[in-house]
Amino acid sequence: MANGILEQLKNGLLELDRDSTVEAANSIIRGDISVSVKEAVDAVSDALQIVGKRFQDGDWFLAELVYSGEIAKEVMNLLSPLLEAGATESAGTVAVGTVAGDLHDLGKNIFINYAKSAGFNMIDLGIDVPTQKFIDAVREHKPLALGMSCLLTSTDPEIGKVIEELGRQNLRDKVKVIIGGAALTEQFAQAAGADAFAPDAVTGTDIIKQWSVA
Amino acid sequence: MMDFRQRILTTLNHEEPDRVPVMGLIAEPATSDRILGKPPADVVSMLRNPELKGEIRDIMNSTWSDILYGNFSDALEAAIKLGFDANWTIYTLMQVVEDPEFQLGLALHDIWGRVWEMRTDADGNIVVNYIRGLCPTEEDWHAWVERNRPRFDELIKNAADHHTKLADNYSDRILPIGYTSTGIFESSWQSMGFVNFIKFVYQKPDFVRKVIDFQTDLYMKYLDAIMKSEVDVVLGGDDLGQKTGPMMRPDLIEKLYGDSYRRISELVHKQNKKLIWHSCGNIYALLDKFVEWGFDGIITMEPTAGMELGKVREQVGHKLVLIGNLDVSYLLVRGTQQEVEDAVKKAIRDAAKGGGYILSASHSHSRVDPTRLEWMIEAAHKYGKYPISV
Ligand code: B12
Repeated sequence: MANGILEQLKNGLLELDRDSTVEAANSIIRGDISVSVKEAVDAVSDALQIVGKRFQDGDWFLAELVYSGEIAKEVMNLLSPLLEAGATESAGTVAVGTVAGDLHDLGKNIFINYAKSAGFNMIDLGIDVPTQKFIDAVREHKPLALGMSCLLTSTDPEIGKVIEELGRQNLRDKVKVIIGGAALTEQFAQAAGADAFAPDAVTGTDIIKQWSVA
Repeated sequence: MMDFRQRILTTLNHEEPDRVPVMGLIAEPATSDRILGKPPADVVSMLRNPELKGEIRDIMNSTWSDILYGNFSDALEAAIKLGFDANWTIYTLMQVVEDPEFQLGLALHDIWGRVWEMRTDADGNIVVNYIRGLCPTEEDWHAWVERNRPRFDELIKNAADHHTKLADNYSDRILPIGYTSTGIFESSWQSMGFVNFIKFVYQKPDFVRKVIDFQTDLYMKYLDAIMKSEVDVVLGGDDLGQKTGPMMRPDLIEKLYGDSYRRISELVHKQNKKLIWHSCGNIYALLDKFVEWGFDGIITMEPTAGMELGKVREQVGHKLVLIGNLDVSYLLVRGTQQEVEDAVKKAIRDAAKGGGYILSASHSHSRVDPTRLEWMIEAAHKYGKYPISV
C-alpha cells in the first residue's frame, strides 16, 4: 500500500494527472498511509529526473516540461511545510535573472522552477537585471551559483560585464556562473568567462547539482 | 530581366527567376532611421516630461494609425533604398494607458490583451516590448473580450486601410508583403502568460477551445483585411518553436490549432494568393505539418535554433518555398563582408536550385546592421543569377 501511494505520486506526475498526484500527496499528509514526507519528496524528485530525461531525449516537449513542473510545485508546496527540519537539506542557493535589456523570461522561469523542485533554494532576480543587482544578490545571498539568462545578441555583452564586475569586487572565486538562452553557446560561455553553459533547464540543473556535491 | 514582382512570384511557384530575390524584414524605426539618415523621434523622452506627457499620450492615441503608417512607409523607403525586392508590413492596434508598473507611468495595451513597455535605445529610438498578458484568469479573459468588442472591428478596418495604402503607394517600387505578426497560438498564450495557458490546456480544455475559436475568427478577419491590398502573397505566423524544438508536442498543436491553420490556408487560397508562414525556433518536427496545413512557404528558419536550409530542403523538397535563415545573432550584426558573402553563397547553394528560395535575414531587431544588409544584397546580385553556379 505504501509503495502504491508513492507509485501514484510518481506516475501521476509522469502522466500529467494533476488531480491524482495531489490526491496522493494529500493522503500522505493526512497520514492515511504510513509513508514519510521525506519518501514522498524523494518520489517527486525521482519523477522529475525522468521528466528531465524525457525532455532532453526529445520525447517530451516544452509544454509537458512546464506542466509537470507546475504539478511538482503544487505538490511540493503541500509537502514541504511538513518536512522535519533537517530531513532534507537545501542543495544550495542559486540566484537567477535575465540580463539588462532582455525581457524574455520563459526559460529563466522554467529553470528556476525545475531547479527548485530538485531541492535548490532559487532566488529570482527578474528580467532586465542591471549588473549591480546581480552583484548585490551575490553579496547578500552568497549563492552557490549565479545564473544569467540571455536570448538576445544585443544584450549578450551584459554577461561579460557582470562577470568582470564580479572579479573587480573580489567575488568571482566565491560563486559559479552558469548561463543559458537562445543567443548563447558553449563557446560564448568560455569567451565570457562563465563556468558553464546550459542548452536547457534540465542540463542546467544537472550542472548545479554537480557543483552542489563538489 | 524580371522586375521584383515577377521575380518573387516566379520563385513562389518553384520556378527559376532571373536571380534569387531578396526580402527585407525592416520594421524597427531604429533600422529605417539609420538607413534613411533620419534623426530618431525620441518619443519616450517626451513622455517622461511631466508637462508633455498627457498631450503626447493623447496625440499617440488619436493618430495611432498614422504613426504606424509612417513607420512602415519609412521601412519600405529604407528597403527600396537598399535594393530589396520585397519587405514585410504590419498593422497592430495599441493604446497608450496609465500603468504604474512601469517607470514611465505609461504602457501600451494591445488589442490581443497584451501589455508592452516603451523604452528608448541608445540612439533615442522607441523600442516596444511585450511584458505580460492582461488576462491571467478565465474571468479576466471574458471581460477583456466584452470590453473590447468595438475595437476588434477597428483593428480590421484599420488593417485593411493600412495595407491598402502602403500597397497603393509602393507597389510600383517594391512588393509590400502584409504580415499578421500576431498568430493564434501567440494571441492565445500571450494574453494570459505561457504557464497559465499551459495549465489551462490541461485543466480547462473547454475554455482553451473558446479562446482558440475566438482568436481564429479574429485572425481570419484580420488576414482577410490584409488581403484587401491586392498583393499576391501574405505572411502569417506563430512562434511555434524554441531553441531545441516545438513549444508543444506536434500532435497537441495539431489538436488545438490544426483546423485553424487549415482554415487560414483555405481562406488565402480562395483568393488565389500564397501564404508564407513565420515561425521562430527549431521547427523540423513541424515541417510536414506545415505542408499538410496548406502553407505555401516558410520564413525565418532560425540558425541559432539549429535550422539549416539544406536540411529543410532535403526534408520538404519543393513542397514549401523557403525564405530567410541568415543569422542575426552575429552575421548581420557584426560579421565581416567575406562572412556575409560566404553565408549568401551557402544559402543559395543549399536552397535556390529550381526556384523556391528567397534570401533574407532570419529575423529583425534593432541591432541588425544596414551595411551588412547591403553586403547581403550585393552578394545575392553577384551569386544569385540563374542558372545557379555557386
Ligand atoms: C517567445 C519569444 C519571444 C517572446 C518572449 C515572451 C517572454 N515573456 O519571454 C516575445 C514575443 C515577447 C519576444 C520578444 C522579442 N524577441 Co523573442 N523569441 C521568442 C522565442 C520564439 C522563444 C523563446 C522562449 O521563450 N523559448 C522557450 C524557453 C523555455 O526557452 P529558452 O528561453 O531557450 O530557455 C531554455 C534554455 O535556453 C535554458 N535557459 C534559458 N535561460 C537560462 C538560464 C540559465 C541560468 C540556465 C541554466 C538555463 C537557461 O532553459 C530553458 C528551458 O529548457 C525565441 C526563439 C528561440 N530560438 O528561442 C525568440 C528570440 C529569442 N527573440 C528574438 C528577438 C529578435 C526578439 C525581439 C527583439 C523581437 C522584436 N523585434 O521586437 C523582442 C525582444 C524583447 C526583449 N527586449 O527582450 C530572437 C533573438 C535573435 C538574436 N540573436 O538576438 C529570437 C532568437 C528569435 C529569432 N528568430 O531569431 N520573443
